[in-house]
Amino acid sequence: MMSNPWIYDSLAPDTPARVFRELVRARELLLDLVWKDLRARYRYAVMGFLWAVLEPLLFMALLAVVFSFILGDRAALTGAGTRPYAVQLLCGLIFWQYFSGAVSAATHSLVDARHLVKKVRFPREVIPLAACLVPLVNLAIGLVLLEVTHLLFGGKLTVGYLIIPLLFSLELVLTLGLALWFCCGHALFRDVGNMVSVGLMFGFYASPVIYPADLVAKAQGLPGWLAGLYWLNPMAGLLTAYRELLFVGSLSDIRMLAWPAACAVLVFITGLVVFRKTAGTIADSL
Amino acid sequence: MIREPVIEVRDLVKEFPSRRGARDLRGRGGLGDWIRGRKTPRFRALDGVSFSVSQGESLGIIGRNGSGKSTLLSLIAGVTRPTAGQVIVRGRVASLLELGAGFHPILTGRENVYLNAGLLGMRHRETDTVFDEIIRFAEIGDFIDQPVETYSNGMFVRLGFAVAAHTNPDIFLVDEVLAVGDEAFQRKCRWKIGELREQGKTIVFVSHDLGLVHALCDRVILLDRGRLVQRDTPQETITWYLRQVGNERGVHVFRQGNTEAIQCEGRISLFRSGREITAPAGFSCAVVSLGQYHPGSQAEWTVTERNETGCVVRGRLPRLPVTLWWTERLDEAGRFRWRVDLELERPCSLDQVNLSLAIPAAYRKWIYGDFSGDFPEIQPSDTQWTLVLSPEMRSNRAAALPDDASGLPPLLFEAQPVWPHTGLAWYNAEYLAQSRVLQASVNFMSMAGQLEASRISLVEMLIDPGLRAEDMAWRVRSDRVVRSGRMTVRFEHGGLRLFLDETEVTAYLNCYAALLIEHLWADSHTLQWGSSRPLSNGFEMEGVSRRFPFRQIWQVTPDPEGVHLTIELEADEVIQAQEYQVSVVLRPEYTEWATEAEAGRFASFQPEDTMWKHQNRTYPPGRQIIAEGAGLPRVVFLLQDDAPLMRPTAINTSIAENARVLQFLRTGDVGRLVFEAGRHLLFSGTVRLEAADATDNSPGGFHVS
Repeated sequence: MMSNPWIYDSLAPDTPARVFRELVRARELLLDLVWKDLRARYRYAVMGFLWAVLEPLLFMALLAVVFSFILGDRAALTGAGTRPYAVQLLCGLIFWQYFSGAVSAATHSLVDARHLVKKVRFPREVIPLAACLVPLVNLAIGLVLLEVTHLLFGGKLTVGYLIIPLLFSLELVLTLGLALWFCCGHALFRDVGNMVSVGLMFGFYASPVIYPADLVAKAQGLPGWLAGLYWLNPMAGLLTAYRELLFVGSLSDIRMLAWPAACAVLVFITGLVVFRKTAGTIADSL
Repeated sequence: MIREPVIEVRDLVKEFPSRRGARDLRGRGGLGDWIRGRKTPRFRALDGVSFSVSQGESLGIIGRNGSGKSTLLSLIAGVTRPTAGQVIVRGRVASLLELGAGFHPILTGRENVYLNAGLLGMRHRETDTVFDEIIRFAEIGDFIDQPVETYSNGMFVRLGFAVAAHTNPDIFLVDEVLAVGDEAFQRKCRWKIGELREQGKTIVFVSHDLGLVHALCDRVILLDRGRLVQRDTPQETITWYLRQVGNERGVHVFRQGNTEAIQCEGRISLFRSGREITAPAGFSCAVVSLGQYHPGSQAEWTVTERNETGCVVRGRLPRLPVTLWWTERLDEAGRFRWRVDLELERPCSLDQVNLSLAIPAAYRKWIYGDFSGDFPEIQPSDTQWTLVLSPEMRSNRAAALPDDASGLPPLLFEAQPVWPHTGLAWYNAEYLAQSRVLQASVNFMSMAGQLEASRISLVEMLIDPGLRAEDMAWRVRSDRVVRSGRMTVRFEHGGLRLFLDETEVTAYLNCYAALLIEHLWADSHTLQWGSSRPLSNGFEMEGVSRRFPFRQIWQVTPDPEGVHLTIELEADEVIQAQEYQVSVVLRPEYTEWATEAEAGRFASFQPEDTMWKHQNRTYPPGRQIIAEGAGLPRVVFLLQDDAPLMRPTAINTSIAENARVLQFLRTGDVGRLVFEAGRHLLFSGTVRLEAADATDNSPGGFHVS
């Protein structure tokens, strides 16, 4: 009888193996949900998926204009010479946007999908998971843009690129972990949604997105403890690593990734546990 | 091997954080409260509920609002976990908790089908195989590739149901979903659920529609404030429930002797000696406006007056400015009286009001006016009501006779219409309902459907469960029967049957009238007869000709000498008849006849007699004709003085028809009788039956030897 995958026992323990089996079975549902989101987002827009291309491009253009020309002499950003600011910016931007887009979408995902969660039993993980997968499309488009811009500005393709997926999987694990944490947090206490959006806004400036990370090291007015705190942000290490891979082709210091990796794994595992603990009765709070 | 139950529920407890309005505004269970450690009292929705459901069983869950029905269902669905206790579900579950819940408005129907089926645990591959069936069931057609936001509400719900019903799960959880969609689709859904049940699927069913619960469930559990208070057959649990909620707003229980009536939210159930004589659907009422069907069950019901033997309830319909007023009473004889009034708040267009009186399928025979018969068997393919008899027939009385083994009482129904165009008709309900329905329709077509703001009395129904089956046919027809001394005259199928005590003298066509117009006999049997109107000491019938522009009005009254029949013709335009006749068709045992002028014996029938044959040689006008037969009552057929003069004649019918006829015939002066538009007296005469031993002192004054 236990071989019947459709047995539901409210007292059955949530062993990792069981949760995993359930998730594997729900893979098509996950893809359907992702597809639903994408269709819903672009169906009635005349230019459809083109917006996914235009959005990061326009944002990059805006920031490039502001920082290269308006704040150019002060910001001392453009002086990097071999590293064109636009490319640097785009590199930080797409990976940050993936992170912030996925985390904020996932935070609200359970509450937004309450009509499903309150009606049907399915592994609840697919909801935040789908929310994290949807922005991958924008990221993919962004990567192509980045490559094109990079080559236009005279950059070269290097072997280091092959490490980017590895690096990104770290970011993904971190994103998923935070998504799991925040989506049940938000379901239980609706304040969490606001906290996350404020936090992400902080993060945008507290991560090397619009500036390279070495500016932080060079900054004279910055107290030492605050600089140390800066590197506690796992995204700081990750974004810097992306840039190094793009421009140099290798990582100058592999230890730079140790903290982000530890963070990602820790957040992910605790996220899974917390989520599983709450998922059983999450429908009551929606 | 003993099969494990498909659903096991053990000592189930479910608590919710209590919900208060103001907190919802700030977001549920604010973080602030949590930090300050402010504990909110928890609300216990389910408290120690245990039961199990085995394979193929259908379980109904009833209870008033807030009793924990839906919570229980969502625990079984695995949507949320119990606070304590255990739920085990062995098999795939499809919850019809809310149809189309997973639909995204922007996606096409096709995409939504796959998404929704996916939520119910279907792989794409599996969905492919049933996709066409889903589309067919939902009647979506080419819209399937349109975004569902362009769908009508009905299409949306249809598609939602179709997906859930075709995912081939082992267990169905159904929560009030059948309250949506149009009447036809609701029926289709019920039908589908019935089919799933036949396929051995397990069904758990939550509904306020007790009739549906009764029809679909093997077992019903009753929840009250989170506790399981009753678990039994549908009949027992529903009755228990109704008595329990006895004094709520729309509910009233009243009794008289051994008859008990339960008025519950737009439905009346009747019990006799503790046994329900109504079908689960009970007596209900629906208003049809602009082709839309507004069932009384959707109205908001309030009992405005109540006592031990009756009540007045008011039901405000949600989408019409119409309030139904029901006055219900059990009289001393245990008869149930139900009057339906309509109150319109503002002018409103109504097509008709239908009162449906549903009784169990164990009632096998119907009687309706002059007609009677067996109800056809209800077939599994019957997804709709089927009319048992022609709607053209009109009568205000009907009866239903039960199967002898059922222990149900015979039922007499009588409609006393206040509003003119009211008709009764017998139906077989659809297969799942397993019931017979007497429908009383009050039609407003004559008003072009437009009614002023007012209160209108429509009809009063009388249901008598206290009669003997043998008397029933007689009671149904008692509105068209006249007695005079030992003589009884009964109107039936456009003719009169004559009896002396129990002996019938008439045969074949009985006593009838016919006009010859344009070489066609317009026979009173062929007229369309309405319901009878009572006279002070008799009754009046009106029959409309379908072929010619006239009506016949028959008045049948007792007379000191026998029974008097007056036939009037109401012509809508000029009618030119060649002749007309009024005949008494007698049994072939009558052997002799006599008029004032002539007497003779009826010739014996010959094989070559294929036409009617006059027995008399002369045809002078007269006022009397008599027939006699050995051991039979003497039949005296008299023409009254106020009537036009006619010629009495005795006739043999053809050998096949095998009857004797006493006839008064009137022919036109120049072969033509012209009736101007208006009312004309055709015939006024008396029939008298004299017992065979009393023939000697007959007032006719002569005797035929």
